[in-house]
Amino acid sequence: MSLTSIPTIETRRLVLRGPTPEDYPDFKATFSSYRSRFMGGPLNKYEAWMLYAAEIGHWQVRGFGMWMIHDKISETTLGMAGGWFPAAWPEREIAWIIWPDKAGHGYALEATHAARRYFYTQQGWDGAVSYIDPKNLDSIRLAERLGAIKDKDATTIDGNDAVYRHPSPERLKSGQIADGIELEINHYCDPLFKPKGMPLD
Amino acid sequence: MSLTQAPILETERLILRGPEPRDIEPMIAFLLDQNRASGFGAAPNRGEAWRWFALNVGHWHIHGYGYFSIEMKDSGETAGISGIWNPEGWPEPELGWVVFDGFEGKGIAQEAAARARRYAYQDLGFTTLTSNIVPGNTRSIALAERLGAWFEREYENVHMGHDLLYRHPGPGDLFEDDADDDGSVEAYA
Repeated sequence: MSLTSIPTIETRRLVLRGPTPEDYPDFKATFSSYRSRFMGGPLNKYEAWMLYAAEIGHWQVRGFGMWMIHDKISETTLGMAGGWFPAAWPEREIAWIIWPDKAGHGYALEATHAARRYFYTQQGWDGAVSYIDPKNLDSIRLAERLGAIKDKDATTIDGNDAVYRHPSPERLKSGQIADGIELEINHYCDPLFKPKGMPLD
Repeated sequence: MSLTQAPILETERLILRGPEPRDIEPMIAFLLDQNRASGFGAAPNRGEAWRWFALNVGHWHIHGYGYFSIEMKDSGETAGISGIWNPEGWPEPELGWVVFDGFEGKGIAQEAAARARRYAYQDLGFTTLTSNIVPGNTRSIALAERLGAWFEREYENVHMGHDLLYRHPGPGDLFEDDADDDGSVEAYA
C-alpha cells in the first residue's frame, strides 16, 4: 500500500493533523452554519459529509490537502488550513477556515503560514493563490496579512471569486513579509500589552 | 497506486479493487454523461465529477468500505463501479452498481454486485443491504430483482429526491452452505 501518510506540522500554539472521522462533527457544525456562507455553505448533513469525505480523499488523490488545526495543549479542533486543488481550480489554492467560536486569535494566520511554508519547502510549490469571495472581508484581510496580493488578471474559478496571489518562495524568504507574519503571530501568543489587573479604587 | 486500503476481490471475469488514479477519467466521463448517470446522480461539471471521485476515496477511509472499481480481467479496463455506499443522510448502507459505456449487456453489473454483496455479508459482517433506485430506472430494478432483492418502500432521498428502496436477501438466505452465488464452493485463501 502506498497510501499518502499525512504529515503533522507543529507551530507555537497549534498542531496540524490530517482530517479523521472523529473530527467530522466539528467540521459539520461549521459547514452547516452561516459561517460557511463563503465556502458554498451552509450545507445539509449529506452535503457536509460528502465534502468532508472529499477533504480526506483529496489528500490521497493529490498528495496534499487540508489539515485539521488542533490546539497543541487541549487537542481541540479550531478549523482547517492547507492546500486545495480539485479539478475545476485553475491553480493550487491555499485555503483556511476557522470555527466561528475560535476566531480572533490568529489561528488561521499561524496555521496557514505553516502550511504554506510546508508546501514551499517540502513539496516544491513555486507559488499559490487563494480564491476568496469578494464579500469575505475577514479572509481578504488575512490573505493580505499573509502577503498575498489581489491578481486581477488571474483566472477565477467561476467569476464570483477574487484571486489573491501569495508571495513566491523567494519573496517569502527575503524577510520582510515573513518577519511581519511572525511578529504578528508572536503578539497573539504573547501580547505586548496585557491588562495588569483591575484598578483599585 | 493505492488510494485506499480496499481488498482485491475476484470473480470469474472481474477484479474488484479500490479506486486508483487511472479510474479518474473513466469515472468523470461517466458522471458527466447526463443520460447514463441520471439514475446515479450525474455531475453538472468536471469539478463536481472529480470531487465525487475524491469523496469515494474519503468514503473508504471513513467507513472502511465504499465503491470498488470493476476491472476486466482480460483487458484491464475499468468497466464500472460497485460497492457499499453509506454517506450521512442515507437510509441504510446501500449496495450500488454502475457500468460504464461499452460494458453493458454482459452481466458485468450483476457479477460485480453479487461479489460486493458477498464481501459485505461475509467479510464486513453486514446483516442486511438495500439498493436505492430512482423511479423509472427499469434496468437497475431488473438487476435488483435478478439479485433477489424486492421492493420495500418509497422514500425521499436527501440527494436523489423521490426514491425506491429495494431490500436484498440477507446472508442467511444466500450462503446457507457457504456456497458461492454461482453455486460452487470457494476455498478461502
